[in-house]
Amino acid sequence: MRAPQSIKQEFLKKWILGLQLCDFAKQNMSMLERKKAIKLSADIAIASTRNGMTCWSRALVAKASRDYGDKVLVERMLASESEKLKKVSSIGLIAPNKWVIIRSKKILRKSRRARRVRSSVPQSVLAKSIAKKMVKKRTQVLKSLVPGGEFMDDISLIEETLDYIISLRAQVDVMQTLAKATDLLNERAKVQAQVGHLALAAESTASPTARLISDPSEAFFKQTRESPQVTRHQGHRSSS
Amino acid sequence: MELPTGPGHRSSPMRPQSEDTVFDSLQFGEDIQHLISVPPENASSFTALLELPPNQAVELLHSPDSTLRTRTVIETHHQKPYLQPQFNAANLAFPTNSGLIERAARLSVFAGENLNNISNNSLETSSGPSNSSANLEKVVKSEPAEAESDLNPSQPLVSDPTTVENGAQNQRPVKRKEREKKGKSSTKKSKSSGNDNSEDAEKLPYVHVRARRGQATDSHSLAERARREKINARMKLLQELVPGCNKISGTALVLDEIINHVQSLQRQVEFLSMRLAAVNPRIDFNLDSTLAAEGGSLMDSNFPSMVMPLTWPEVQVNGNRQNYQQQWHFDAVNQPVWGREEDSYNFITPENSLLSYDSSANSDHGRLEDKGLEIFDVMVKGNNGIQAEIEHYGCVVDLLRSAGRVEEGFEFYQKDAF
Repeated sequence: MRAPQSIKQEFLKKWILGLQLCDFAKQNMSMLERKKAIKLSADIAIASTRNGMTCWSRALVAKASRDYGDKVLVERMLASESEKLKKVSSIGLIAPNKWVIIRSKKILRKSRRARRVRSSVPQSVLAKSIAKKMVKKRTQVLKSLVPGGEFMDDISLIEETLDYIISLRAQVDVMQTLAKATDLLNERAKVQAQVGHLALAAESTASPTARLISDPSEAFFKQTRESPQVTRHQGHRSSS
Repeated sequence: MELPTGPGHRSSPMRPQSEDTVFDSLQFGEDIQHLISVPPENASSFTALLELPPNQAVELLHSPDSTLRTRTVIETHHQKPYLQPQFNAANLAFPTNSGLIERAARLSVFAGENLNNISNNSLETSSGPSNSSANLEKVVKSEPAEAESDLNPSQPLVSDPTTVENGAQNQRPVKRKEREKKGKSSTKKSKSSGNDNSEDAEKLPYVHVRARRGQATDSHSLAERARREKINARMKLLQELVPGCNKISGTALVLDEIINHVQSLQRQVEFLSMRLAAVNPRIDFNLDSTLAAEGGSLMDSNFPSMVMPLTWPEVQVNGNRQNYQQQWHFDAVNQPVWGREEDSYNFITPENSLLSYDSSANSDHGRLEDKGLEIFDVMVKGNNGIQAEIEHYGCVVDLLRSAGRVEEGFEFYQKDAF
């Protein structure tokens, strides 16, 4: 039984770890590359909260490990994880025969579609078959959405979807909170910069304001500043 | 402030869950006492899975097969008295939204130890009364597991409108069954190897399903029906997880909603990662303070205390201004202090990549621009009487704008700048 709060906490810890491992110091990182790195670390983090118990998490890790550039990051992030995930990242996700099975199913489906006999069926059966087709189409779409979904049967597909939705929600919540927090910080920094700018402009226009800046504890109330204030101001500037 | 209260609101729906589980366990305790007085009933079909209280349905869905089989027999039996007072479909014990997330969370622990412990406990409590009432449990034989697993990969997700209707009306025929049992003898078809006794029931490897009236009993259709009912049970859980799916009937439309939901969540992740990439060219975190700050209330408050952006590209910082801002951090007690009020705030310099915030700082965003206005007032009206120039006005207006007080800035400009 997992509380959503613990999911979020675990995800955040692992995501922070991943972001630290990402090499953001490179100056030539475009925004797209940064976004990819952030998304990758978020995905690996949310997959690792599952500890390899669910199919989608393993599929996610495997997909990320396919590209060599990302694989390094993945392995570093999962260094402290369970054996299952490490195994998944090192080998391929599924055995090649599964791909063969899927491909042969697709071929069969296409051939069936080609040689369908248009028989006149009673209305009720027609409605049933239409509904079946609709459901089938949608399960195909769902299989393409859930990572690793093509290899699951219907029952486990629904279970995986359930788990996947919960994890996605936790991921979105954490990322939203982080984005809001950074926006907040930026706003505050802007305001502070404005205040600084104003004071700077004020100081540059006239020296009496320099006295104000240098010693605010007396600035508003005493006006007995002489040149020692200016030197004190200079001293302050150089000390910081 | 939006930030602390938002996650706080999100956490508040979690609290009613504990009441739900307490309620369920209470019910369970009463059921055991009812059990003995209840006349022998036929065992349920898989459709009884749908009637179970959510936590047990979840356990059944996810326990390994053997325990599933044995417990199906026992659990469904316990739930019969629980459900009997509720004969109308509207009164069914389906979970409300408050229990959803807990169940869904529990659902996601596949074969966790907790589940096994719970199942062991329930086995122990139920084996007592079930032994005492030997003929209470009647089971119907169903197909073995191998047939099921063979069928599963080959068949696609099939559910026709009739099945869905059956699913919706499942409760009513089952209820009717219960009602019938009281008075009349059961006229249902059942397999020949029907009614075993309770002592053997726990050891049997098969799930026993009673065929409903008027339905075929050959193994294929039974297997298919069992499979369909499994799928329906899980779809119901999924329906309750995704918002807005409760009123929709029909598998295809529900799947539509689920697909939309998953797609929107994935798109949100993309968008948020783009947003984070735009705002922070570098995100550097101090793990020690982060992990120290992480108590139970990670999301509720103090989140920004863990966020330490390294550089802010929008902020035009030059060396001089930084120095001024550092100067402002004075310990003047009685007089208004310029710059930051909070103690633990270190401004970012290129060398210093650590930044931490008090929670008070986040909520008290409004004081700084007032400080700026104060400075301006003092500058103009003080005994020195500096003439305010256009740049000063511009600064003040900009300050007010970035603080969100745009009209004030406009008025200020109109009033003073001419």
